[in-house]
Amino acid sequence: MTLPKGFGSGGGGGAGSADVEKMIGRRVENMTGMITLSYIAAWLATFGGTAAGYFFYPWAYPTPSGHYAFIVLTLVEAIGYLFCVKVMQEGTQKNSNGIIAVTLAGTAIGTVAIVMFVGH
Amino acid sequence: MAQMPALLPKEVEIQRLKKIWLIVIAMGSTAASVEVDNFVDGSLHQTSIRDSAFTPAHWWLYSHFVTLPLGWAAAGMYDRKVPILRGPNNSINTGLKMTILGYLATMFTIGVNEMWHFWFVEEIFAVPNHWMFNMGVVVAFMGALAYVVRVYARLVELGAETPGENPYVAEMYKMALEGKLYSRSIP
Repeated sequence: MTLPKGFGSGGGGGAGSADVEKMIGRRVENMTGMITLSYIAAWLATFGGTAAGYFFYPWAYPTPSGHYAFIVLTLVEAIGYLFCVKVMQEGTQKNSNGIIAVTLAGTAIGTVAIVMFVGH
Repeated sequence: MAQMPALLPKEVEIQRLKKIWLIVIAMGSTAASVEVDNFVDGSLHQTSIRDSAFTPAHWWLYSHFVTLPLGWAAAGMYDRKVPILRGPNNSINTGLKMTILGYLATMFTIGVNEMWHFWFVEEIFAVPNHWMFNMGVVVAFMGALAYVVRVYARLVELGAETPGENPYVAEMYKMALEGKLYSRSIP
């Protein structure tokens, strides 16, 4: 196997496990933190976007309509988040079910709280 | 396309394909969000016809039509690290090419659409400037489907994903691996 410059032992050999690790960089199963933060950021941005609708254009976007869009989009994002973490960790020993459960429960409670108390 | 020899260690390739998977899931969620906004924007246009380009439904819609071509272009840049996904003559993967071109069409249609509505202040769904949004999205979806199946088929081949149990689906993956899913010559 031909390896890129800087990899391998410089003749014969092939890729050792250190080379393979260097080529991989951060492993996908260790990206749960970044994926979780991205999901929360996307969820907050969704709240900001829908809130802009019912605070600045109330004649066109009644608050219940904005909340409905917020709920649907939260579901879309939650499914995407779940897929991301579970697919990245399948076939490995890593397990972040606790983080997923806390994050999804947190955003679910947050969504209900926002729908009940914001924009009325 | 015959089976290519391994150009990089299996573990490295699986990790890279899964990083592509992350981008694909993000882009898929974004595309689903556009579908939600189709209803929001259509609802607003039934109420107010067209008062301004700067409505929340348009911020939502148009920002996605910039995000999607750029996001898929990011996938295209990272895709270069997985040799088996390359297209003809070592170009970008054909499905990815279609996706980026389709969403680029929708991005430029934002400008075309605003120019049209400068003169015609209506919101008739069937006007030609709106066709371009829909045709761009259809081309992008076709390309994305071909690309996703290709990535999945490679993950199956590497043993990182389970092949479909339905014999017709399994046959589709087999054909994709042999490069015969939608063409004998274009991988």
